Amino acid sequence: MTIDWWGLGLQAVNVLILIWLLARIFWRPVAGAIARRQAAAQSMLDAGKAAQDKADAALAEVTNTRAGIAAEREAILAEAKAMADAARKTALAQAQQKADALMAAAQTTIARETEAARKQNAAQASALSVEIATRLLAKMNTPAVQAAFLDLLIDAIAKMSASDRAALASAATRIEIVAATVPDEAEKTRIEKAVADALGGAADLHLVGDPELIAGLELRSAHFVLRNSWQADLARILKEMKDAA
Amino acid sequence: MNSPLDSVVLFYLGPVPITQAILTTWAIMVVLVVGAFALTRRLTLRPSRRQAALELMVATLDTQIRETTGAEPDPYRGFIGTLFLFILVANWSSLVPGIDPPTAKLETDAALAALVFGSVIWFGIRGGGVGGYLKSFAAPNPAMIPLNMLESVTRVFSMFVRLFGNVMSGVFVIGIVASLAGLLVPIPLMALDLLTGLVQAYIFAVLAMVFITAAVEDGAHSPPSPMKKDA
Repeated sequence: MTIDWWGLGLQAVNVLILIWLLARIFWRPVAGAIARRQAAAQSMLDAGKAAQDKADAALAEVTNTRAGIAAEREAILAEAKAMADAARKTALAQAQQKADALMAAAQTTIARETEAARKQNAAQASALSVEIATRLLAKMNTPAVQAAFLDLLIDAIAKMSASDRAALASAATRIEIVAATVPDEAEKTRIEKAVADALGGAADLHLVGDPELIAGLELRSAHFVLRNSWQADLARILKEMKDAA
Repeated sequence: MNSPLDSVVLFYLGPVPITQAILTTWAIMVVLVVGAFALTRRLTLRPSRRQAALELMVATLDTQIRETTGAEPDPYRGFIGTLFLFILVANWSSLVPGIDPPTAKLETDAALAALVFGSVIWFGIRGGGVGGYLKSFAAPNPAMIPLNMLESVTRVFSMFVRLFGNVMSGVFVIGIVASLAGLLVPIPLMALDLLTGLVQAYIFAVLAMVFITAAVEDGAHSPPSPMKKDA
């Protein structure tokens, strides 16, 4: 067995050349293709990650914006609620004020109407009282009452001033002595004589009847009236009661 | 039948005898280079099946280198990959009738072993410098320097002998059986020879890678000297 050193060297050179050639036309290109694909994939991953980060940032911004919107909404709602509360309070106060004014006006009206009703009731009561008294007194028109009214008439004439009495006595017009009922002639004459005596002169006296007087004797001329009857009294009382009401 | 240990000289180029193994090697080189050129002409970002197969092969080789050395495969890919491809194709060239695989000859295997020997030195110096490479012989301690130096020769010699013995024996056995039993009987042996060729190519490449890695790692991480430790 011998070693062919030329062959050994030539084979070594051959394999070295093959290593050199394949390194350049096979291993490097294929490894480069793998590296390029890895780089492309990495760049795509990076781009995807960048897009993801961008999307995350956008999402965070949207979240923040949404939170801001929610906070703004809360603030607006709170402000609107405060304004509504203030408006409600104002409206409530105004309504209360108006209601108070209306109540005051109503109370005033009620008081006025109550007062008016009370006055009307008082007037009606007075009128009723006078009506009752009129009916009752109508039953009490007795000669004694008549005599008492005559005395009162004489007394009233006596209390007149002398000049008035003289003027009345000398009046040209007829003087009427008005009684509730016309008495008989004797009584009529007695009354006319008593009145004439009280007047102190020869006046033209005529006794006439007027049931409206209820009871009493009055003097009436064209320009003079001397009230002296229950009618006059009741009318005066009624007037006083009305004035008092 | 010629002795498988003898090389048949076909012709001479000056003083250089050209044997059949050399001629076959040239043919393998042409096939590999032309094939590589044809296969890698249109590499695109979106790979075809052909490109995907090529990339699978390179990726597998890178994975093997990375798992064996723990380093990036770029500096070793060309050497280790070409070594594997050449030995594989050379081993399988026995399928071509009338062709003896170049790896069945002493010169080719010795040349490959010499290249591995040289590459261990080259990558060792490149990885740790001349000092680092020389220090790698002192691992784990300077007493191992003679043994390490002897080992650096014997291990590549063992590679050479292993490859030569396996391939040559396969060719020899197939030749004997074919001469004795006829046409179809050697086929199972030829299939076994294919497997042997593949395994031998793989073993040769892996061992080369391991030797290179050992030289690079020992040079880069050489242990402190005992003198420094005493100081």
